[in-house]
Amino acid sequence: MVYEQLMGNLIQGLILGGIYGMATMGLSLIFGTLKVVNVGHGQFIMVGAFITLWMFNALGIDPVVAIPVAFLVGILLGFICYYTFVRRLRKGPAFASLLATFSVGIILEETVRLIFGSEFRGYNWTLGKVRIPFTVIPYTKLIAFSGSILIAVLLYLWFKKSRAGTALRSVVEDSLGAQVCGVNVDWQYALSFSLGIGLTVASGALLTMFIPVGINPNMGGQYTLKAFVIAVLGGLASPYGAFFGGLVFGLIENGSYTLLALLPDVEPFALTRFLSFVILLAILLIRPTGLIRTK
Amino acid sequence: MSERMPLLKLENVTKRFGGLVAVDGVSLEVRHGEVIAIVGPNGAGKTTLFNVINGVVFPDGGKIYFEGKDITTLPVYKRAPLGIGRTFQIPRPFGSASVRENIAIGGMFGTQGHMMSVDQSMEMADRYIGLIGLKGHSDKPAGSLTPTEKKLVEIARALAMKPKLLLMDEAMAGMNPKDIDRMVQLIKEIRDTEKLAIVAMVEHIMRAVAGLAERVMVMHQGAKLVDEPTMEALSDPRVIEVYLGHPPEGHLADR
Amino acid sequence: MNNTVKKYLPLFPVLAGYFLLFLVGKNMEGKWQLIAMLAFYCAVGQAFNLFMGMTGYVDFGYVAFLGVGTYGMAIAISRWSDQGLGLGLLVIGLLMAIGMATLLSLAVGAVALRLRGAYFAIATIGVNEGFRYLIEGARLWNGSEGIIFTAQLNTAFGRDFANVLSTYWADVALFFIAPFAAFLTLCFLRSRIGYALTAIRTDEDAAKVMGINVTRYKIIAFIVSASLAGMIGAVSWALKLTYVFPPDVFAISYTIEAIIIVLLGGAGTLLGPIVGGLIYGLSKYYLAVILPGFQLLIFAPIIIVIIVLFPEGTVGVLKKRVQGTAWEKIIV
Repeated sequence: MVYEQLMGNLIQGLILGGIYGMATMGLSLIFGTLKVVNVGHGQFIMVGAFITLWMFNALGIDPVVAIPVAFLVGILLGFICYYTFVRRLRKGPAFASLLATFSVGIILEETVRLIFGSEFRGYNWTLGKVRIPFTVIPYTKLIAFSGSILIAVLLYLWFKKSRAGTALRSVVEDSLGAQVCGVNVDWQYALSFSLGIGLTVASGALLTMFIPVGINPNMGGQYTLKAFVIAVLGGLASPYGAFFGGLVFGLIENGSYTLLALLPDVEPFALTRFLSFVILLAILLIRPTGLIRTK
Repeated sequence: MSERMPLLKLENVTKRFGGLVAVDGVSLEVRHGEVIAIVGPNGAGKTTLFNVINGVVFPDGGKIYFEGKDITTLPVYKRAPLGIGRTFQIPRPFGSASVRENIAIGGMFGTQGHMMSVDQSMEMADRYIGLIGLKGHSDKPAGSLTPTEKKLVEIARALAMKPKLLLMDEAMAGMNPKDIDRMVQLIKEIRDTEKLAIVAMVEHIMRAVAGLAERVMVMHQGAKLVDEPTMEALSDPRVIEVYLGHPPEGHLADR
Repeated sequence: MNNTVKKYLPLFPVLAGYFLLFLVGKNMEGKWQLIAMLAFYCAVGQAFNLFMGMTGYVDFGYVAFLGVGTYGMAIAISRWSDQGLGLGLLVIGLLMAIGMATLLSLAVGAVALRLRGAYFAIATIGVNEGFRYLIEGARLWNGSEGIIFTAQLNTAFGRDFANVLSTYWADVALFFIAPFAAFLTLCFLRSRIGYALTAIRTDEDAAKVMGINVTRYKIIAFIVSASLAGMIGAVSWALKLTYVFPPDVFAISYTIEAIIIVLLGGAGTLLGPIVGGLIYGLSKYYLAVILPGFQLLIFAPIIIVIIVLFPEGTVGVLKKRVQGTAWEKIIV
């Protein structure tokens, strides 16, 4: 009985992990190209969640449509942030960009709170479920999972095949060399930052398809921590590592929740959150460059 | 000469970065009070060699001895109190601190740091400010100085550490001839008064080499090519080739 | 007028200022709460400045030390109120608060302080949440229910005195802790530790080459900063409120406020956090009347503006202005 529950939870965890992974790709992309850690990461996810919520509840539009909308909003926000301050702080001491991105997170959180209020909200979008061994998965979650994979694949192809993507890769490898080749490095940085934010906001939409409840302005913080754990798991600078890191994290999160629930006198939900933090520290201690090697 | 143990001894030191061999089996001895110039084209491995001596990187092979002690894997910050000082090619003073504070910091954590109070370090700093000729700039933030002034502060700061060995990384790069002469003069003064060994990295500045160094070591593609007294080195065709980029005139019959 | 007096001269106006603040609070009708809040922010700002201001490393989980200190006092009072220890109970509580904060800082520091800039921030961002969820998850010290010890405080001191302790002495204690933090700050600034930290903040690699054991100095700053936070939590939260509740004492909002205060006032300076604490405290107090709930939204962009335009903060800018004048001895 426990075994079945564990397997079922692990599968759910894997699917959720795919979404976590996709949500973290933006963070890794930004760090990989600009060496900036977006400490406001979770709040951008929250923005995506609210966009989806509002589009569904107020406009009756399917969350799937919200994904590209969220993506575009993210790109816009990304450009604004880049040209206002990221560009100047990129080269400076670490604490400058850390605090600035952190502050943006606060601004987003407070703005959303003032517009929408602090209550927990949700929306109701059901399409039926499908039965697979060990568990039942709603179609909405499957759509979210496929969406995540699709976006990850699209990103991969874009990097490898497109001109813009190649230009970006060249900047990461050798910015001076890229400049000599005529690449407008500043524009590439702006692009990658905005792309990273766009991915992050879009992932908020996907996340709500998986968890359509508990949407509130303060939800961002927990996702920032999860994203950091995943990013560090996958190698902080690698978006693909982030995706796989996400899958691993999803498995660990659900797996430990199930197992901890067996212990008497503990609250498994809270303890799982503590566990993810311990994992983060453990990885940073042993191998800060990430456990999963991808290039 | 007595059989004194060398101050610094490198035995077959090798350092690789991925597939690139930056330092290839270099052996070197530096005696107390010697002044040595290391020359070689860009990419010859000079900076990496300095980094290895300094502790910024650890070698992949070989050993480093300082006053007989094996310091091959000694952490960076432990090397300064032993007596290894270093200046960087692009000076890195602590920009927001004053000139005096910068130099005093050198004193506080150097070989005699544990014997001095903060106030004594500041007094010592004032003496060095006089030596480098920057009196009047003592309280200015180091970040506001000209590049040449910054270099001088960098040197003074390293000297305040009271090192036994000073690694000077391209101290004269980008200077005009007048400043170079001034620098050479300063280094001579330092050598005479401070009684320390200097290993200086100079690239194409012949006048510096000729004026300063007792020995010249030429590096090429990570390996030591030549290591001999200056007089011989100046007429050694291999050294000339390094400076001019091609063999000396006699071999260019087909030009 | 010897050297020592000259060195510690800047401390005198600070002590005078705190004393003045205390007098204003005591004597002006209805202003005690405001003054107490200002003292709190100045104290927290100074404590945080000892680490973030002086090393340049941002500890996003800082509030955890305040929280742990609160628990230290709470545990002491709730457990040993019936031992007839009198004021010794509070001393034990304070020592436990400092002890627990120190232990936590050692545990976190052992991992986090080996890491550079961005990685350090990542490591610390979960500390407060992580510790909160440990307490709730493992049901430590009553888990998510927290500890209410009003009754025990009454038992230990009698209802009347207990009341005076919570409503008056808990705040007055801040007027000892804050000047103490100022004293420690000046000690740091005038000693090797301060210079080492300046070097580390400016250029950590060059600092190592100069012979500075960067890890050791970072740890010192980290622990001192954490212990002070523990003290503040013990008096200003535990003793004052007579209860501790995990979501309250591990809330990241306090770290945000500490960051604002240090940046606004001037990181790494003596007067900076005090100025920052006053400005932020007053703004928050009066904003709460005009635009309640807006203060973070107003201050967050201000942080960005400060970082981009005036990273050295108010006192930092002031220091540059008074350079070469007599004021330079006091504006530190």
